[in-house]
Amino acid sequence: MSAHAPAAATQARALRHRKNVENLSAAQLQTLRDAFAAAEALSDDRGFAHWAGLHGLPLPMYCQHGTRLFLPWHRAYLYFFEFALRDLLPEAVLPWWDWTTPASHTNGIPAAFAAAKVGSKANPLSQTTVPPIARQNGQPQKTSRNAGQPGDLPSAADVQWVLSLPDFLDFQGQLEQIHNAVHGWTGGTMGEIPWAAYDPIFFAHHTMIDRLWRLWQIRHPNPHLPADLLNQALPPFPMTVAQTLDIKTLGYAYASTTAHAVAR
Amino acid sequence: MAATLELPRPPHVSHDDFSRADLEFRGVDHSGSSFDARVYLDNHKADVDSGRGEDSGYAGSFYVFGHGGCFGEVGHCDVPEGPRGPYDRRLPHQLTPQFRTVVITAALRRLMCAGEADTFTVTVVPVVYDNPASLVGDVKDPLRFESVSLITYDDPSAAGIPLPGRTG
Repeated sequence: MSAHAPAAATQARALRHRKNVENLSAAQLQTLRDAFAAAEALSDDRGFAHWAGLHGLPLPMYCQHGTRLFLPWHRAYLYFFEFALRDLLPEAVLPWWDWTTPASHTNGIPAAFAAAKVGSKANPLSQTTVPPIARQNGQPQKTSRNAGQPGDLPSAADVQWVLSLPDFLDFQGQLEQIHNAVHGWTGGTMGEIPWAAYDPIFFAHHTMIDRLWRLWQIRHPNPHLPADLLNQALPPFPMTVAQTLDIKTLGYAYASTTAHAVAR
Repeated sequence: MAATLELPRPPHVSHDDFSRADLEFRGVDHSGSSFDARVYLDNHKADVDSGRGEDSGYAGSFYVFGHGGCFGEVGHCDVPEGPRGPYDRRLPHQLTPQFRTVVITAALRRLMCAGEADTFTVTVVPVVYDNPASLVGDVKDPLRFESVSLITYDDPSAAGIPLPGRTG
């Protein structure tokens, strides 16, 4: 092998690129499914339930909502969860669900997450099991959804308006409102904080939120953030707010568009 | 149950004297169910069937992503009161009441064009998501907040891009 040849096609870029779930190739979607299936099969602290539980039940709940840490905390959460998936399948990358597109406003939940089965097997992106330690007051064992009308999802105009807001805390507060609305729209397990992350679509929803923060950062390259906020830790993750600001230092970026064709 | 409060009309000369208008809700409880809190101006009869049309006075919503109840022992969900000590670096209690902003620029402009009363009403209607997974919390009456303030801005940059129906 030449010294200049890439070791493998998947290592052509140092940064991993997150993509729109609607535009994944069949192979990329299968990789995502395999990674989630592998994580869902583990009951230890590498497993899906462990990571879902960091957001909600079992106690303590670490997630940050309605605070100045909403975006930084969830960026750190996705960062560490994505590494947990990649420990199981090195090519795994989190995709985003763009709920503003005409496809989402027609179909609602993307097919990748909506299909109950893939072939003869259960789709690991559709439903998971909530462990007994996270179920209280009769919560069901299996995750569920109760989606609203597709046309009620946030619009592209809503997002463009939020992206135009110059103040970080104002932007964050308005984006969190859109985020909350999508949790409510999806309903079921996604509808309340303690269990939301047990639905795999949670991670595609939050990858969309993280992507919008990245787009906002590109439009507003020198925002004022309170100094005390920058040094704030994001437990349980060994990371501060300042360390979440540059996603390239975290090893990932967002693809703008993707398309595929199969050679004959 | 909906809540209606009365606010003084802003002392602007005309309806376009401000670039943005916000209703700031303080002390919003989020310990129970998730819901859409729909805000109506000068429609104290608004209810869950009033919709989001301009004719109804609908001004915008804030959304509560609820905790669905308390999952600890007695006292676990009691939010500490009073100021924090100077060396207390812990994060706020998870159930600390929240702050929510609803941008009502377009709706307030419509209201100011419609009349010159000294006051106007703000009615907040909670629409609880139909959630079969939710078995906890006060599903029928989740709306609790401490106060609401009207804030207007002259700075055009505060408004973001114009968006019909949202920022006017």
